[in-house]
Amino acid sequence: MDNVAAEQARDALATAEHARRQVAEEVGLPRAYWWVMAAGWLVLGAGGAVLPWWLTTIATVAFGAGHVIFASRLLSGRRRTQQIQVSAAVAGRRIPTVVVGMLFVFVAVTILVALALDAEGTDHASIWAAGMVAAVVGFGGPEILRVVRRWVRA
Amino acid sequence: MTQPKFDELIHPSTRLSLVATLAAVDWAEFAFLKDRLELSDSALSKQLTTLEDAGYITTERRVSGSRRKVRARLTPAGRDAFDGHIAALQAIVGDAARPLSGPAPRS
Repeated sequence: MDNVAAEQARDALATAEHARRQVAEEVGLPRAYWWVMAAGWLVLGAGGAVLPWWLTTIATVAFGAGHVIFASRLLSGRRRTQQIQVSAAVAGRRIPTVVVGMLFVFVAVTILVALALDAEGTDHASIWAAGMVAAVVGFGGPEILRVVRRWVRA
Repeated sequence: MTQPKFDELIHPSTRLSLVATLAAVDWAEFAFLKDRLELSDSALSKQLTTLEDAGYITTERRVSGSRRKVRARLTPAGRDAFDGHIAALQAIVGDAARPLSGPAPRS
């Protein structure tokens, strides 16, 4: 230990920190989660346009329940790939809150876009709104989560 | 509080990266470690064997479909050694940053 200079020790600490950061970059949800979410969004949007309101409500509740049952293990953000399981200490506890918060924002955006399109007289406004948000969720979900994590330091 | 304990086995750069990576995960597969550490199969195997012989990690061989996969995880002894080593490195850096003690020069 006496032979190790401070500069060497600093480099070693930087190496260890770099390794930890590389693992932290792996925190997130599997790509398939975002695609399933996007598909669900689209189906519910289409349902809202063609089904009676009570059936759409049941479908939405069922989708939410399915999300709770099947995705709850994923929401920790520790199993984005099948190659590693990030430790709870590195992933932190705020990823589920961040993801659920994102979903609430997406719901709000869908409603606002649908109302705006409807006000302009667009046919099937809910389908168009759901389609737009579904595309954002499917293509940009992982990236949006990464940015939001950085903002809220989760 | 972790006792600082410099660990010669962990200190080499590649091994430190490997142990630091494993300290941040519950487990990692061989392919992930190989990719992130940019090591060949044989080089990574050698490092894992060294750490396994020291009791710092365990490896587990699994069959997934037609492929065999190796999973590595840090043992409690490995985690203690890593934490102690990091504490020792921090102590070295801290000592170097501390001003030398002694009487202040008179003007």
